Amino acid sequence: MARAAAPRTFRDAQATYQTNSELAWWVFMRVSGFLLVFLTFGHLWANNMAFNAGEIDFDYVASRLAQPSVRVYDSFLLLFALLHGVNGLRYSIEDYIQRPQRRVAAKVALFTVAGIVFVLGVMALWTFSFSEMGDAVRALNE
Amino acid sequence: MYRGREGQWAFVLHRMSGVALALFLLLHVIDISLVMWGPDGPFNAFLAFYHQWPFRVGLIVVIAGVVYHALNGLRIIMMDFTTWGVKYQAPLWYGVLGLTTLIGIPVLWKIVPEILGIA
Repeated sequence: MARAAAPRTFRDAQATYQTNSELAWWVFMRVSGFLLVFLTFGHLWANNMAFNAGEIDFDYVASRLAQPSVRVYDSFLLLFALLHGVNGLRYSIEDYIQRPQRRVAAKVALFTVAGIVFVLGVMALWTFSFSEMGDAVRALNE
Repeated sequence: MYRGREGQWAFVLHRMSGVALALFLLLHVIDISLVMWGPDGPFNAFLAFYHQWPFRVGLIVVIAGVVYHALNGLRIIMMDFTTWGVKYQAPLWYGVLGLTTLIGIPVLWKIVPEILGIA
């Protein structure tokens, strides 16, 4: 294998990575991963165990996103999961795409999509007041 | 090289579940962000599409991927930040598989009847 084995301890990682940013990402993957265990399990519990996921519709999502606590929770989930996931995909690109041009192209595509998805997610979470929207819809139907 | 023993299988499953979950996450944020178009927008039609049984089975696979990736991630953290983690990485991996299966039982118990329409 052309690539050096992945570092196994923090001291290993310090010796392996040439730059501080790669070391920082190595630490980030572990810290965010630890937090995501709780964030994702809580998310799955709320939407798949405490509720029938097959009945999720606009009203359900709007009523959840109307709660400030859900917005804050989901914002942390969005931020950590996207950074963790996109950095993981970056590792995969660097492992499996050998040719420099294709590697750059894959990363540009990944970061572009991730940026768009992040903006969409933040907009969905914070742009609209769902409680106001619900009131408006109810007023229309009266 | 791990020569195909526990460590390598742990890595392969971690990589596969990780890539799959990252791609699912991108799709998931996009489809949930359709709420922005309001109750008469495309959201309900999209969700109804995803409520078909093949996607609901797929969601069980996603949950399994999350649980495995999370627990194996904790195993990796133990290997990286404790003095004993690397020594016990193989039994820890069997613990990850066992715990993933154990968590899977109530998840299947809850969701399979919903898919079959007998919940």
